[in-house]
Amino acid sequence: MTDALYPDKDKNKEPQYKTLAQKRMEEIITGYTFLAPAMIVFVIFLVLPIVFAIFISFTDWNGITPLAQTVAGASGQVEFTNPSGETVTVPMGTAVIKAGEDGIRYLTQAEIQVPANGTAIVAVVAADITQGKDTNAAKSLLKDIEGPLSEVLEVKNLAPITGGLDDAFKMEGLDNYTRLLLQDGLAQKDFFTAFKNTLYFVLGVVPVQTILALLLAVVLNQKWLKARGLFRTVYYFPSITSSVVISLIFMWMFSRSGIINVVLSGLFPNYDPVTWLNDSNGLIHNLLGVFGITRQTVGEWATTRIVGLTAWDWISGPSVTMFTIMILNTWTTIGTLMVIFLAALQNISPEVYEAAQIDGATAWQTFRRITVPLLAPTTFFVVTLGLIGTFQVFDQVFVISSGGPAKTTITIAYIVYQNGFKNSEMGLAAASAIILFGIIFVFTMIQRRITSEHTA
Amino acid sequence: MLSKRFIALFSLFAVLVVSLGIASAQDEKLIVAGWSSNPEEDAMLSALLVQFTEDTGIEAEFVPSPDFPTTMQTAFASGDYPNVFYIDSSKLPDWVEAGVVAVGEGELENPEGFYPSLLNTFTYDGVLYCAPKDYSTLALQYNKDLFDAAGVEYPTAEWTWDDLMAAAEKLTDKDANVVGLVTPPDLNRWLPFLYQEGGAIFDEEGNYVMDSEAAKTALEYYISFSTGGFGGTADSVDAGWGGEAFGKGNTAMAMEGNWVINFLLQNYPDLNWGVAELPMGSVGKATMAFTVCFAVGADNNNPEASWQLVNYLTGEAGQMKTAEVSFGPMPSRGSAAQTYLERWEEPAKGTKFDVADVGAFVIGAEYAYPWQLPVGFQPFVDAFNSSLQKAFTGEMTADEVLAEAQAAAEEVMSQVE
Amino acid sequence: MATVTQTQAAPGGLSRHTVMRILSGIGIVFLVFFAFIQFMPFVLTIANSFKCLPAAEQVPQAFIPVPPFNIECRGGGGAMLPADATTEGVTFNSTVEGYNNIFEFDLPRWFINTAIYALAITLFRVVFDSMAGYALARLSFPGNRVMFFMMLGTMMIPGVVLLIPRFIILRQLGMLNTYQGVVFALAADAFGVFLMKQFFESVPKEIEEAGQVDGASHFTIFFRIILPMATPALTALTIFSFQGTWNNFMDVLIIVGGKPDLYNLPLGLALLRGQFGDTLEWNTFLAGAVITTLPLALVFFMFQRYFVEGISYSGVKG
Repeated sequence: MTDALYPDKDKNKEPQYKTLAQKRMEEIITGYTFLAPAMIVFVIFLVLPIVFAIFISFTDWNGITPLAQTVAGASGQVEFTNPSGETVTVPMGTAVIKAGEDGIRYLTQAEIQVPANGTAIVAVVAADITQGKDTNAAKSLLKDIEGPLSEVLEVKNLAPITGGLDDAFKMEGLDNYTRLLLQDGLAQKDFFTAFKNTLYFVLGVVPVQTILALLLAVVLNQKWLKARGLFRTVYYFPSITSSVVISLIFMWMFSRSGIINVVLSGLFPNYDPVTWLNDSNGLIHNLLGVFGITRQTVGEWATTRIVGLTAWDWISGPSVTMFTIMILNTWTTIGTLMVIFLAALQNISPEVYEAAQIDGATAWQTFRRITVPLLAPTTFFVVTLGLIGTFQVFDQVFVISSGGPAKTTITIAYIVYQNGFKNSEMGLAAASAIILFGIIFVFTMIQRRITSEHTA
Repeated sequence: MLSKRFIALFSLFAVLVVSLGIASAQDEKLIVAGWSSNPEEDAMLSALLVQFTEDTGIEAEFVPSPDFPTTMQTAFASGDYPNVFYIDSSKLPDWVEAGVVAVGEGELENPEGFYPSLLNTFTYDGVLYCAPKDYSTLALQYNKDLFDAAGVEYPTAEWTWDDLMAAAEKLTDKDANVVGLVTPPDLNRWLPFLYQEGGAIFDEEGNYVMDSEAAKTALEYYISFSTGGFGGTADSVDAGWGGEAFGKGNTAMAMEGNWVINFLLQNYPDLNWGVAELPMGSVGKATMAFTVCFAVGADNNNPEASWQLVNYLTGEAGQMKTAEVSFGPMPSRGSAAQTYLERWEEPAKGTKFDVADVGAFVIGAEYAYPWQLPVGFQPFVDAFNSSLQKAFTGEMTADEVLAEAQAAAEEVMSQVE
Repeated sequence: MATVTQTQAAPGGLSRHTVMRILSGIGIVFLVFFAFIQFMPFVLTIANSFKCLPAAEQVPQAFIPVPPFNIECRGGGGAMLPADATTEGVTFNSTVEGYNNIFEFDLPRWFINTAIYALAITLFRVVFDSMAGYALARLSFPGNRVMFFMMLGTMMIPGVVLLIPRFIILRQLGMLNTYQGVVFALAADAFGVFLMKQFFESVPKEIEEAGQVDGASHFTIFFRIILPMATPALTALTIFSFQGTWNNFMDVLIIVGGKPDLYNLPLGLALLRGQFGDTLEWNTFLAGAVITTLPLALVFFMFQRYFVEGISYSGVKG
């Protein structure tokens, strides 16, 4: 009878059902297989470097010295065959001179003298595996010898038989982290200035860009809108331009005699052109200034120092220049977020809207009670992306302001770059990066809590 | 079906990509790394390399990097770096300490032909490391038309600080958006004034000596241009840098280096301008030298050939050739100075610029100080610049700036073991 | 009943219809104003790429080209024509000098490289990211959550600090200065996986369950059922991957910095800009920027129509 129902079924095969265990196994295998390609890429090109960075954060590496390089330390003994053919052991860095009738002599750097007949053949024992600093030291030994040098026999690179190797870096434990977070000094001051700036940036940009992107997507999703495609492309334009080009365009638009000031002067007759890109005054400070509250008039409490910055500094708000960069960032990211919301809006079945219309809901009600909740997972996604992106803002700061004016646009990501590539402190840079990771992680988790509470 | 198409396309691409990327064979040729200065200069360098290959049979290739500091540092860290590369004077201490620069003592041909100040710049701990390839100094550019209109005498080689300040005052015209002098808020632009007053950042033993009367005088002088209203930053007159402000006529004087010559001749050919040496302080003349050298990598698969190449490029002949097309920097050998001066005759035709004025830059080599600080002093520079910006707006006094700088310096020095 | 509701006046006196009209009106204004803000910088960019240099640097900016078009920027004697010779108010005479200049460089090669990287990487990413996203969203296996968090975590580290270790790893693998190096290093991205995971999570489980009842393996369900209905998400992924790769500077720099033949457009343009500020003229640089951006705009415009209702899973008449 079953044959009639399933005429195609091969009678010789086993029944098609699988056992639960088989199903589970199949799911697991599929899971790993599907995940594998992406995971391989991630592990090699992301996870391993991150592990490396974590390791470096506990060292004092300068980011330049080749990692594999070892440099001769002060102690340590080397074994070699001298010009007479004997095998001897001498301290590292010894100069071996064979001079005329004097035979072979071993001189420490302090003892170098020119032999009486004025010529010397020098072989210097080095202990560096690559020609590096130690050979340089050797050559500077040679330089101090007066009189003509007949020949340098050879500069040997020998591994020491006992101790004395200095690596390209030393383990420092938690020193880098302490310097950034706890210890009074430039590192801490810069880090918390960056933290303050980044925080204002995040709190200012994320809500604004999320809401605007959502509104845009909703509007551009309406069927009655003609030329939707064109509008969408126009809105997406800023997102597709490289950040370098956009930054340059913005610099030019926001210069003192640029378009923005021209337009503002036209709209507001009393407008005094703002030097957008070189104004280190904080916005909140400016606002308070309108009410007569300045650094001088505010109370004593404002000078208390909290981790390197005064209380007054902490409440400065973003500087005018930082504000400009915030606008730039929002402007470029809205397009991308809008695209994400658009794709999500497609997933909402039109039936839902039809039902709402039948029930007499207004556009606003539909939006608030139906669209927004249905988009909650996407909103979480967009906000998470926003957090991750804004906390790491770097490109625009790099091109436009290099952290200025007066360090008001320094962000944590910029501190990472500055420490790693300008101050030759890769260990500190790595530590800053790890701390930033921690901050982003915490914020993301908090945000997740909030969002999941809302999704009833 | 979507999936089949995907897989087909996908495999096609995989094959395509793999077949396209044939790993380059490891040549024995020398790699010369630097940054791209300008198309003519790059072409000249490549031409010199071709010539070198013809003469010696050794292959060499110039690979300019779109982001030199990043690519170099990455290469160093990995242990696999170019044979020959540029080093900016400010980077020398870091890179030598990192052990990636080979010693130049005894390897350079005719070192006496280089300007001594440049050789000194590239000598670290008493050892010479690399061959200076070119240099730029700061000098005083002045707008002759603005000077004439205000009835002020042109700057001379004998000008003092007072002359400069007085002229700046007379030449400032707020309504016309013209200031007397653009004073960039940068340590490396203020340093000449410090040296002119006899001050310094360090003494011979390496002690920090910038907390001096000379420093205070020099700093107060520099700041007073901004606070007095006859000078300031470039963007206070809507320009990105001093050269631009000068070219547009928004500042009567600027203190820029040789790079400004080409910029002005190309973009502002109608400008009536001249160049004089920077004014003297109470102790004497000083200016900054921004210079770059050709260095040989310490870990090198072909050190002899590398030094041969360096000597070729910085030898007399090489220097002459580069001077002929230089878009700014001056040759590091005195013998090529004349070629350099003559190089500007062609571009200056049809403009009001007198090529002889270029001599003001050249002569700077005699009293120029290198832009170079010990390892780890970048935070000091950043702190100083940041404070200086605040001083320009009156938020900080010269004393406060110096105090901040000193605190920063002390912290850095206590860090270095 | 429906008819009655629709024409019924809402409390307050305004009919629903009128409210909709007003909102549409505001909406249009909002849209146009916003479009203007988004687009103006590009109008200026394009305009300036077609100007002679002194005109491009001048403020205020002219942005309307008028005849004569295609002028020569250098007058008699080879000197550049000053700004007022080529502009007047908001109008200017256009020239292709910027474009000529930029084509003297290796632009075609950079363009082709950029296209190769973008196409190859996008293809890989669409496949790898959607597979991984699906696995994380719908399949249960040990380590599922851990992998997701690990992946999410990789997005939270500033890339700057990973430059050197990645370089070292690539060098060990022998992939430096090769096309493969660039493609494989970027063949999957956490953002894309995250994006696809989000979308797959919103697909109703009934669909898969239906497939499973029919005895289909997860593999089949994914490729034959789920993937075809994820068009909006895949479109988004394609657009983002293409654009991100097209404009990628830092990663490509690290991987192929030593071989100018493999440079992409951003690297090429940066090379021209030089180390010490703009040694390249503004109009030439913008010409390069326009050439870099236009293909992306085209790609986006072609793909965005997949954001159209009707191509969704539910099979309900749209």
